[in-house]
Amino acid sequence: MAELRLSVQLAPRSKRGLWLKNPVMVAAGTFGYGDELAPVLDIQRLGAIVCKGTTLKPRPGHPQPRLIETASGLLNSIGLHNIGVDALIRDKAPLWATWQVPVIVNIAGETVEEYARLAARLEGVAGVSALEVNISCPNLEAGGMEFGTDPVTAAEVTAAVKEVTSLPVMVKLSPNVTDIAEIAGAVAQAGADALTVINTLKGMAIDVARRRPALGSGVGGLSGPAIKPVALYMVYRVAQAVEVPVIGCGGIASAQDALEFLMAGASAVQVGTANFVNPKVALEIIGGIEAFMRREGVGDIAQLIGAAQP
Amino acid sequence: MPIETCLVLSNEGLTPGAYLLWLEAPEVAPHARPGQYVMVRCSSDHDPLLRRPLSVHRVEEERLALYFAVVGRGTEWLARRRPSDEVDILGPLGNGFKIEPHSRNLLLVAGGMGIAPLVFLAQKAAAEGYSPILIHGAPGALALYPQRLLPPRVDLRLATEDGSQGEKGLATELMVRYLEWADQVFACGPVGMYRAMAAHDLDKPVQVSLEVRLACGLGGCLGCAIHTRQGQRLVCRDGPIFDLGEILWDELKM
Ligand SMILES: Cc1cc2nc3c(=O)[nH]c(=O)nc-3n(C[C@H](O)[C@H](O)[C@H](O)COP(=O)(O)OP(=O)(O)OC[C@H]3O[C@@H](n4cnc5c(N)ncnc54)[C@H](O)[C@@H]3O)c2cc1C
Ligand SMILES: Cc1cc2nc3c(=O)[nH]c(=O)nc-3n(C[C@H](O)[C@H](O)[C@H](O)COP(=O)(O)O)c2cc1C
Repeated sequence: MAELRLSVQLAPRSKRGLWLKNPVMVAAGTFGYGDELAPVLDIQRLGAIVCKGTTLKPRPGHPQPRLIETASGLLNSIGLHNIGVDALIRDKAPLWATWQVPVIVNIAGETVEEYARLAARLEGVAGVSALEVNISCPNLEAGGMEFGTDPVTAAEVTAAVKEVTSLPVMVKLSPNVTDIAEIAGAVAQAGADALTVINTLKGMAIDVARRRPALGSGVGGLSGPAIKPVALYMVYRVAQAVEVPVIGCGGIASAQDALEFLMAGASAVQVGTANFVNPKVALEIIGGIEAFMRREGVGDIAQLIGAAQP
Repeated sequence: MPIETCLVLSNEGLTPGAYLLWLEAPEVAPHARPGQYVMVRCSSDHDPLLRRPLSVHRVEEERLALYFAVVGRGTEWLARRRPSDEVDILGPLGNGFKIEPHSRNLLLVAGGMGIAPLVFLAQKAAAEGYSPILIHGAPGALALYPQRLLPPRVDLRLATEDGSQGEKGLATELMVRYLEWADQVFACGPVGMYRAMAAHDLDKPVQVSLEVRLACGLGGCLGCAIHTRQGQRLVCRDGPIFDLGEILWDELKM
């Protein structure tokens, strides 16, 4: 068979565009800034790397314990521990500029203005290929309600970021909502180039010996294989609701999982928690997708995207 | 840094609930230093999900040993591995113990399972010409690490809480007698043991191995960050070995 085509365009509406050589990225917060994992695998073969969620100022994050394992899942409350955008621009971006693999910076703020200032700071920084906007953050101007749970504020953040950047903008949706399609529509309308679906599900565990919540911060986000069916359904829903590319994320741990997300309508996928179990899993997923395409006589990955949609 | 699928050479219960597991690990074993650890997959599917950190207990050429207590589902799974089964490890990881250039008298203090990394340190130190003293404490004689398995030239001193073997008392109580002699102290055990050591106001370098929950082992998830006197540190990568004086005790209440 002729050469397989795995490349995908994730920001067709953006002037710059975002071409990935394959549709498999690693998810924010599970792969550091990329360099930490470089001794273990050839990171240049990844479709893209999404870096740790970044804020204007460095943040120390939440107290220990930050991780609790659950049945086939993981609860985390890292609390956006990160080095801050200035250190990122100074210490990480110059390294990224020498890489083949595109790096997408995940940004997080507490006010609409903070998101905009972050995007403005990252404008023109060599080594940054796109922004991913984490809207699962408490909005300090709305009593701590998450930006991503209200279509109006979600759209406001999106528009504010779009206005100050020429980079492609992916908006990462929260699953902790009544109707994700409504939020997706509002965010796409506000100018998002692509949507990442989904962030972690809210969850907790109790330490019965202490009679207290087990995580240091009380509540956390659930990820890993346990959330895959939920994430898959949300991708399926959102892909029907919007025209922009959808990036599937949540519980992906094998090529089979990734194929399910592509067929549900995702143009690309992100692998998160599974990196902890097997740091090479994203590369194995790329190999597995290729093997599937060969076996099934699929020449272009585009033929698989949304194949399971009605 | 390799991920290696290792052949199980042997896996035997040494003390009640604790196992000595020897693996064929030609890619990992030759690079391991005392105090480092490996992340061990403890299932063949998604449950339990995360790898478990276990200290490198011994290295013989291309073979690597782990010494672990069965405390939950991961270590239970590991205890059931039989010769010719396979175990997947990632490592070696972490900073490891550091012997200062001018140190001659090395005092190793092991509380219970804390002996796991210290046997490797004792082995290396003895091979380099030191004559380390290894203090090992346990609740009773049954829980003591078998002396016949220790490398030669390691001077072992035992303490049991019930007095069934060695001195009656805690490892830290026995430790006090050798403090004057020691140039440097290396310890591994429960947090309570480190607190007791810190209370002694030791005027010499003390390195301890810290335990928090890890996920990736590579500095990628920031799950194991703790505040220290030197600022924020990742136990997985900046540790697990820290100077006793660096530790802020409130951080270790978990
Ligand atoms: C760097 C490092 C080196 C280690 N070396 C060794 C070693 O050589 N030998 C050895 O026996 N053990 C060692 N440990 C501890 C070992 O990793 C754990 O005992 C193991 O992960 C338990 O896995 P499990 O699935 O059997 O138990 P789990 O089911 O994961 O846990 C059993 C119980 O312990 C609790 N728990 C688990 N981890 C922690 C934690 N970090 N803090 C507080 N509570 C916890 C759980 O909530 C649960 O109640 C080391 C730990 C670290 C960080
Ligand atoms: C330890 C950890 C840290 C995370 N940090 C971030 C973050 O900083 N920003 C973000 O948008 N998502 C973050 N996430 C969410 C993941 O990127 C991903 O959306 C989620 O974990 C679901 O995918 P998974 O099941 O493959 O892990 C984090 C997840 C984990 C497990």
